[in-house]
Amino acid sequence: MPDTSERDDDLGAGRIAERLAGRHLLLTGVTGFVGEALLELLLSETPATTLTLLVRPRGSTSGADRVRALLGKPIFARAVDDAGGIDAVLAARVRVLEGDLGAVPALPAGLDAVVHCAGDVSFDPPVDEGFRTNVLGTRGLLERITEVGPHVHYVHVSTAYVAGRRRGAIPEGPVEHTVDVDAETEWGMAQRRVVEHASRSADVLTKLRSKAERQHGRAGLLTAAAAAEADRRAWVDRELVRVGTERARSLGWTDCYTFTKALGERVVEERARTAPTTIVRPSIIESALRRPHPGWIEGFKMAEPLILAYGRGELPEFPAAGDTIVDIVPVDHVVAAIAAVLASPPQAGAAAYFHVVSGARNPLTFRQLYGAVRAYFDEHPFTHGDRGAARLPEWRFPGAQSVERLLATSERAHKLADYVVGHAPRGDRTRAIARNLDRQGRRLEFLRRYLDLYREYAEAELRFDDAHTRGLLAALHPDDGAAFGFDIDEVDWDHYLREVHCPAVTAPIRALDDVRRSRPPSATPVLRPVRTREEPTAAFFDMDGTLLSSNVIETYLWMRLHDLSPAERVGELGRIAARLPGLVRAERRERSAFLRSIYREYTGARLSDLDTVVDEVLTDLVLSRLAPGAVRRIREHRAAGHTTVLITGAIRPLTRPIAPLFDHIEAADLAADARGICTGFLASSPLVGESRAAWMRHWAAEEGFDLARSYGYADSHSDLPLLSAVGQPVAVSPDVFLARHARRQHWTIVDWASPDTAPRGIPR
Amino acid sequence: MSRPGFVLEVDDRTPPLVVHEGLGFRLEDFPPGTRVIYPPESLPAIDDVDAAIREALLNPVDADPLPTKLFAGMRLTIAFDDISLPLPPMRAPDIRQRIIEAVLTMAADAGVDDVKIIAANALHRRMTPAELKQIVGERVFRSFHPQGDLYNHDAEDRDDLLHIGMTDKGEDVEINRRAAESDLLVYVNVNLVAMDGGHKSVPIGLASYKSLRQHHNPATMVASHSFMDHTKSHLHHSAWRMGRLLKDHLDIFQIETTLNNDVFGAPYDFLLKREWEWSVRDQASMLAVRRGLGAAPRRLRHKLFHDLRSPYGLTGINAGDTEAVHERTIAMVHRQQLTEVQGQTDVLVMGVPYLGPYNVNSSMNPILATCMGLGYYFNSYRGQPVVRRGGAVILYHPLDEGFNQLHHPSYVDFYEEILAESTDPAVIAEKYEQQFATDPWYVHLYRTSHAYHGVHPFYMWYWAAHAMDHVEEVIWVGADRRVAQRLGFRAASTLSDALEMASGAVGTSPTISYLHNPPHLIADVR
Repeated sequence: MPDTSERDDDLGAGRIAERLAGRHLLLTGVTGFVGEALLELLLSETPATTLTLLVRPRGSTSGADRVRALLGKPIFARAVDDAGGIDAVLAARVRVLEGDLGAVPALPAGLDAVVHCAGDVSFDPPVDEGFRTNVLGTRGLLERITEVGPHVHYVHVSTAYVAGRRRGAIPEGPVEHTVDVDAETEWGMAQRRVVEHASRSADVLTKLRSKAERQHGRAGLLTAAAAAEADRRAWVDRELVRVGTERARSLGWTDCYTFTKALGERVVEERARTAPTTIVRPSIIESALRRPHPGWIEGFKMAEPLILAYGRGELPEFPAAGDTIVDIVPVDHVVAAIAAVLASPPQAGAAAYFHVVSGARNPLTFRQLYGAVRAYFDEHPFTHGDRGAARLPEWRFPGAQSVERLLATSERAHKLADYVVGHAPRGDRTRAIARNLDRQGRRLEFLRRYLDLYREYAEAELRFDDAHTRGLLAALHPDDGAAFGFDIDEVDWDHYLREVHCPAVTAPIRALDDVRRSRPPSATPVLRPVRTREEPTAAFFDMDGTLLSSNVIETYLWMRLHDLSPAERVGELGRIAARLPGLVRAERRERSAFLRSIYREYTGARLSDLDTVVDEVLTDLVLSRLAPGAVRRIREHRAAGHTTVLITGAIRPLTRPIAPLFDHIEAADLAADARGICTGFLASSPLVGESRAAWMRHWAAEEGFDLARSYGYADSHSDLPLLSAVGQPVAVSPDVFLARHARRQHWTIVDWASPDTAPRGIPR
Repeated sequence: MSRPGFVLEVDDRTPPLVVHEGLGFRLEDFPPGTRVIYPPESLPAIDDVDAAIREALLNPVDADPLPTKLFAGMRLTIAFDDISLPLPPMRAPDIRQRIIEAVLTMAADAGVDDVKIIAANALHRRMTPAELKQIVGERVFRSFHPQGDLYNHDAEDRDDLLHIGMTDKGEDVEINRRAAESDLLVYVNVNLVAMDGGHKSVPIGLASYKSLRQHHNPATMVASHSFMDHTKSHLHHSAWRMGRLLKDHLDIFQIETTLNNDVFGAPYDFLLKREWEWSVRDQASMLAVRRGLGAAPRRLRHKLFHDLRSPYGLTGINAGDTEAVHERTIAMVHRQQLTEVQGQTDVLVMGVPYLGPYNVNSSMNPILATCMGLGYYFNSYRGQPVVRRGGAVILYHPLDEGFNQLHHPSYVDFYEEILAESTDPAVIAEKYEQQFATDPWYVHLYRTSHAYHGVHPFYMWYWAAHAMDHVEEVIWVGADRRVAQRLGFRAASTLSDALEMASGAVGTSPTISYLHNPPHLIADVR
């Protein structure tokens, strides 16, 4: 129980509500976690206070509408009902000031105090955004406050971690540093231009382009170019984060967030010389202990992703020492402290600092946190899926080094496995492995991101002094204890984590899991029956790999081997086998070059002979390899009145057996001389990759088909343009790359297997 | 002298018995009291086959000797049973080769030069040149095939079909035009089972779909009790009416042959013997074969089995008037295959082997396996079915061979699309038969590739209609459960499980009969 005499000295007599009665406060960031909690507290507990909310319009939603939506949330229900509805609240005591921190509008006259809760909550913002919100935004707001007058009490919500990489006891005072705020800000704001510029340099582009071409060359150069450009944008984003983090660390901060927050405080401190100013520094803000209700939390804060990942069994270890203190504070404590600060403005001259933290008096170690979270999940495991409760990893806190090693090894292994799977023969198994790998890759990416982000915090041996905050607490009127209490000693961490916080953060996931459970398990859409349409509709089919299990090398061998003696067959097979590695490389690089090189082998063959060989020998082979599902689908299209089109890089004679299924066949034509002897060249460029899409567009326009209504069926990465060109793409027994792409795009994936009774050899 | 067929009653001294199941066989312990029906042992073969052929051609039954029918300038057509007979295929030389050669010799002597040789494959797949050669022999093949004088009947070639007329029951009779317009049609048959031959040869083997659908339909099939007994088969009644109509328009010289039961040569000949009589050598062969099959991948097992050629012996050959000839043929078939059985039982057990008429050089897909078990084997009776009405049939086959896309393309679609919707033959026939029969893609494949006609899977299903109608429960032992379910049946892992499952229909201590087949067998149920 605080001592009354102290209260009399500091806060004077009276409760916070009374002291704030008749005051006019401006809040920023009310759509954020802390701002929302603060608004709720003030609306409910300080009925005679007028509030102006600075809210940025978002999209077509005005600031006022955003506030209406905000007040419609359940936590405001009591305050709103008491006042007689949202309109009544808005009419009586809440004004909305629409504006952005980038260009702060003029503030209403008669303001008594401003609480600035807005800020970038991300730890790794692009460097320019960090400066824009945390330094320039604060400066712009302060300029507008100065216009109103020097009496306005400015409350700046910062973070305890502005201490950066300092160690040991951190006093409630200015962060000591000599960084030139203006110079850094100018540098930071210039970085986007600089990095954008650098991203267009030949060095960077060459690297991005050659990577994209390696990956997407088979699909075509335009596809590769699009990928390279997307990669460049991603590179810019990464680079902006990286330069910010590097600069921050070179000056002794953990990351761009704490760095710019610290510089923001300098801006605030300048103002403090002439006007009453308070800086509130909470540590890690988590769900509410009591207000508006236990466990209330908006969005995911710092620890939640880790807690959830642990509960799913996906966080094998953590790079902290078990006895390191993790400084968590419930959000209701933070906003109650801000309310208390508002009720007792300091004198102008120097800023007042308040650490709203737990480490000083009621420390929570990582080991305790781990124990409580584990105990929670032991009692209430995630049971999504059909495998029962997830296995919870045992943390031994082996230290950051070995966690890093573990992660790095896993990443290398994943990369290797990914390479292998990308080069493995396709099939159901390969696709299943690839799917698994992708899941693991996402987990690894998650781990990498969070461990990198939090390692600094996890290793931070910081002890924040909170004498000022204790003083503030001690000065509370005894009757304010219930509504405005923020005594960190009262938090029983075990109870808070197991009964309040964890249930709150896992609730939305459990709800989502329930929804997922009630849906059918299939993630990829199944092949739906084709629709009969009035409008002309086309269905485009790739041949090799889609309709039948074969490839151009194999079909060449069929053609070639049928009339050779056994000895000659061996010789021919050996010759082709020796060429195989080169052919496979060519195939991965560029399909048209590969096709050309295979078709050179037809030099000297008589075109009419090829037709005869196909009719007499290969028809059976082709038909017996035809996937029944594929044939059914083609016939289904025909029955629906669609036009069926075969697009293939195979030579035309090979399409003869299935020609009756198609209305149009676009195949490779071997060039022949006057005597009908193949020259080994093609009559025109082979239709592969993007040229397929180009041909389809041209053909569709000429024949009056709408590609958006049309269907496409293909099996490999190089067919991406074909599939992307139509409105109804279907990936057929896709290779790993196409399978990944199809899953991302929610394309239908089907498996049309050739029957395993099909002969493998050359019929005799 | 070979021993007649007999019925064994299983007791505690009975060894495990051979049960065929697809590409393999198992040794099954049957419950005591089970009746095991064995066919008669193989009849002695005719030693001088060529002399017997000559004798038959020169002294035909109710007809003039063949040479008197041959004259220069005539149109002679020789039709023969296709690859679906005999099963397994016969070791070279095939009996059809010998007969065709003899007929051709007589024709040459008479100065006949317009000769066509046509495989009577009806809606079956076209045979490959190699398969034709295997039946007619190298010499005939070389002389006729390159010129296009040896070919498969095409039931979809409108130009080569002739509508002969209607029977008194209004059935269309339409057959191969060349055969119909010949001065003489010689038909060379292999009468493997009682269903074959007689008027089933020409009116069915050379018919078009229009003519076939008159009797190949569920109503006829359900009423054929059984189609292994032409006197009681509605299917055969229809064929007989057609044959009699044809006889008025066309001179048919029917040559029918019967074979003995030597279906397995060494080292598989133990499969023909009664298990308790196996010698040490038989036991050793059996073990070696089982081990070998157990270790072999399916592709290899398939090859091992499908490469088997049977050392059949000829037991009879008759030529002349179709009906008179067929009477003698049937008598011989019965001598070889008929085993007398006293009364029906609750449960009928049958092993479906690797081969049926429609998967020579191909795979025994689930529909063919059904047809083999419920169509052919179930109907291998005379008098009444071995199993009582409302009883249960237990079949052995893994149903895991999949479909041959080259030979059975319409089967795949029948399985995937139609059986998924209904397994009732009448419903299927009503709703889908026309669509499959006239589908241009199936027709294209039938005519140009080696595919069975689009309607063929329907016929397979109709063959089984009588059995499906007759019994309450069909259970497949050792079968793929999903496949059995798609077919409308159930699967069990063992015989005891199957009996347990059947107990709802037949009680917990049913009477059981096991049809020990192959070799071919007809149960004469009294």
